[in-house]
Amino acid sequence: MPRVVFEDIIKQYGRLTVLKHLDLEIEDGEFLVLLGPSGCGKTTLLNLLAGLLDVTAGRISIGGRDVTDLDPKDRGLAMVFQSYALYPTKTVYGNLKFGLAAAKLDKAEVERRIAWAAKLLQIEPLLNRKPAQLSGGQRQRVAIGRALVKNVGVFLFDEPLSNLDAKLRTEMRLEIKKLHDELKSTVVYVTHDQIEAMTMATRIAVMDGGVIQQFGTPDDIYSRPHNLFVAGFIGAPAMNLRPARVKSTPAGLAANLGGLTLNLSSYGFVQAPGEGDEIVVGLRPEHFGAPGAVPDGEAIHFELPLQHGERTGGDATGYLRLGDGLLAVRIDPEAIGGLRQGDRVSVGFPAAKLHIFDARSGLRL
Amino acid sequence: MIVRWSRWSPQVALIPAVVVALVAFIGAIGWTVLLSLTRSRRFPEYVIDWSEWSRQYERLFKDSGWEIALKNLLVLGLGSCLAIVFGFVLAALIDREKRGEGIFRTIFLYPLAVSLIVTGVAWRWMFNPTLGVQAFLHALGLTWVNFNWLASGETAMYGIILASVWQGSGFYMALMLAGLKSINSEIWSAARLDGVSFWRLYAEIIIPMMKFTFLTCAILLSLGVVKAYDIVVAMTNGGPGQTTWVPAYFTINAYWAKSNLGYASAAAVIMLAITLAIFLPLVMLTAWRERAREARG
Amino acid sequence: MSLTIAEAPVERAPLFPRKKKGITPRSIAILVFLAICAAFFCVPLYVIVTTSFKTMDQIRQGDIFSLPLPLTFDAWWNAWDSACSGIRCDGLKVGFWNSMAILFPSLALSLALSSVTGYALALWNVKWANAFLFILFMCAFVPFQIIMIPLIILSSGLKVYGTVWGIAIVHAVLSMPILTLIFRNYYKGIPHEIMSAAMMDSGSFWRIFVEIILPMSANILIVVLILQITSIWNDFLIGLTFGGLGTQPMSVVLANVVITTTGEAAYNENMAAALLTAIPPLLIYFVLGRFFVQGITAGAIKG
Repeated sequence: MPRVVFEDIIKQYGRLTVLKHLDLEIEDGEFLVLLGPSGCGKTTLLNLLAGLLDVTAGRISIGGRDVTDLDPKDRGLAMVFQSYALYPTKTVYGNLKFGLAAAKLDKAEVERRIAWAAKLLQIEPLLNRKPAQLSGGQRQRVAIGRALVKNVGVFLFDEPLSNLDAKLRTEMRLEIKKLHDELKSTVVYVTHDQIEAMTMATRIAVMDGGVIQQFGTPDDIYSRPHNLFVAGFIGAPAMNLRPARVKSTPAGLAANLGGLTLNLSSYGFVQAPGEGDEIVVGLRPEHFGAPGAVPDGEAIHFELPLQHGERTGGDATGYLRLGDGLLAVRIDPEAIGGLRQGDRVSVGFPAAKLHIFDARSGLRL
Repeated sequence: MIVRWSRWSPQVALIPAVVVALVAFIGAIGWTVLLSLTRSRRFPEYVIDWSEWSRQYERLFKDSGWEIALKNLLVLGLGSCLAIVFGFVLAALIDREKRGEGIFRTIFLYPLAVSLIVTGVAWRWMFNPTLGVQAFLHALGLTWVNFNWLASGETAMYGIILASVWQGSGFYMALMLAGLKSINSEIWSAARLDGVSFWRLYAEIIIPMMKFTFLTCAILLSLGVVKAYDIVVAMTNGGPGQTTWVPAYFTINAYWAKSNLGYASAAAVIMLAITLAIFLPLVMLTAWRERAREARG
Repeated sequence: MSLTIAEAPVERAPLFPRKKKGITPRSIAILVFLAICAAFFCVPLYVIVTTSFKTMDQIRQGDIFSLPLPLTFDAWWNAWDSACSGIRCDGLKVGFWNSMAILFPSLALSLALSSVTGYALALWNVKWANAFLFILFMCAFVPFQIIMIPLIILSSGLKVYGTVWGIAIVHAVLSMPILTLIFRNYYKGIPHEIMSAAMMDSGSFWRIFVEIILPMSANILIVVLILQITSIWNDFLIGLTFGGLGTQPMSVVLANVVITTTGEAAYNENMAAALLTAIPPLLIYFVLGRFFVQGITAGAIKG
């Protein structure tokens, strides 16, 4: 069954290198999300896999078969596009049928597959309509249907939900996930939306600058970001990243953070820094809590003046002045209403949730 | 290596067009240039006497008919600029006063749907001295009016210009109207709020913003003037005498009336050179525009 | 805090009614000016229409703007059936049928050639596409005279010189660059992803063209069709140089009728002949004007 392997992929446009020596293995049945900011090369990688673009160098294989030189239609995969790319002059039925244009199937089989996909996606009543007569969500279903009828092992999705409104997006997210669970096919899904990545993926490849920054499960990527890019990219509001210098104290290693001393003795270093080394300390806003909520021994306490607060309905973020910068902190939304600018706020942070990176290489320590 | 038909089928489909371009255009241009270097008369000869390769061109520039043709080309070009000015005025007025836009546009554009031969025939009839507009005006007592332009070599070109302006103004109006409509509507609102006067708005804001449109119009007009043939045939057939000859007319005449292939080819090559001289700015304009668009986006 | 609920507005007379704005003096001035211009544009049409219905007796009275009295269709019938061009006197009907015979094969040929070429250049990955487009761009502006003689020699060699087929082919060849550019620009506007989807679904050059792209081209096909019909119908030079005796298109016959008159010209007949020639494109213009305008602007600025 289809296992997708990229080996030493290089893609250049003229002198511009978009992908640099990229290796990636996608296991059978996996839901892989390629996540990254725009221009990171994720869509290029997907198009290379689809065969819509040619690699400059490297090898792509699907299910053990080298497909690097095959036409898109011969690669045994199906794709759902960002704009859905439905054929405007064909009906829904015609769109699904054209999805099988290259397959050379007999009539009965074509009918059977269209009926199956239409039933699965609940688009049976729409079969005789033209795409212009469909809503955004319905078009999305048809686009998925056109991929489903091909009965292939690998599905590619190119930011398929970005043209939908927030409510529909949540619905379709669940539905795509459900489809994957049912069909057990391999999925490669490109998005810049980390919520989508976190909720749907079995594994995520975070990309930036044409390089895979980290490849792992969603939990892994959230709780153990491999480098500063991943740390800053994953999480909303973004992780607080503050430069600091390591110093030795009798109690072990410590760092100076905007006037506060941070005890690092309990941090599980992969590679311990030396005295005087420049590091970056990362604290996720959502890990802050009321001082009492975190057990004393493992907590770091801050008492800082409030600069301003933001409420987003059920949640609230406070921005506290720390040194010459701001520290984003999750605050009880009930409490933030009574706070004024300049009020001192006391919060605690569990030491176990600290992230420490080498300031020079950007790698996790 | 697997043969990928997706690579080859588009190239195969392009073969007819490539053949047409290479044979009927590029090859034919080369052929004409070659003929212009020979002494071909009624039938083509392909022997070039290199000691006097330029004899057709030398003859051409000594020919008084060719001189008239070039001068008339200039006159026609300058005169036809009226069509651009007229077209712009019409477009600006139509765009400002939205009432009746559809009707006026239809009326100003219909001459374009009519062949130049018909245009010429119609205007020739109006220029008729004894039965046409002049006779009508004289009957009204305006006996000082001279509308018998086509009969005199000095005014015949103006008659042709009048007919071309009548025929072409609508076209430039359509281009200008498209240009005006593409101007951001907020500009008009801003100018209204700022209280900019009508004349200053056009002189300082709108016309500079439409410089691309004006340039395109000017180039298209020049290219059209070089090709002008039908209208001359229909209105004066070159006359009186040779006074309304233009290069396009001269070339066809050299081939059909004088049966001189080499001579006609030389004239055609000069026509091509004139076209290129106009065409090159167009290429640069396109490049400039592309760059302007990139800089914006 | 109290809850405010928006009340439904009550139907009532406005508190501060204003007078309806009348037409401003400036608008009147503009409209008057435009109307005068419109009259200038209409005069030639008025003159040829009225003249074509007049008798020669009335024309000789010299009042060009008068209405036809008595009104007669003789001139129209003569122009169609028996007007003389040169030595032959069988009117414009021969030219009309020749123009028709030129029009249809030429349309089929040029539309097929340029739409497929435009499609291949716009939507398929052809390495030399840009170089070829540049050549086409140049070819589109080349004056006819520079390629006329070789084309005459070539078509004589192919034994089509002087036939309606020859004229039709020359029209198709000469319009190929500009029409290809128009098609190519239109096809460039088709969303990239549609083509990607079609590449994954079918991958076949012709199948994608016939099933996906062609059905999406209805609009541009009409525009190009109208552009082509009017330019072929109104052409004079190609018909003149490539038409033989008896195969000349209508515009050439018209020119011969009007120009080669001996003795007193039958002005009413000439005008009727001109109108007969102008009617087909004018009909198209008045019925499908929107597409006509799109066509000439697309033909002019291939952006």
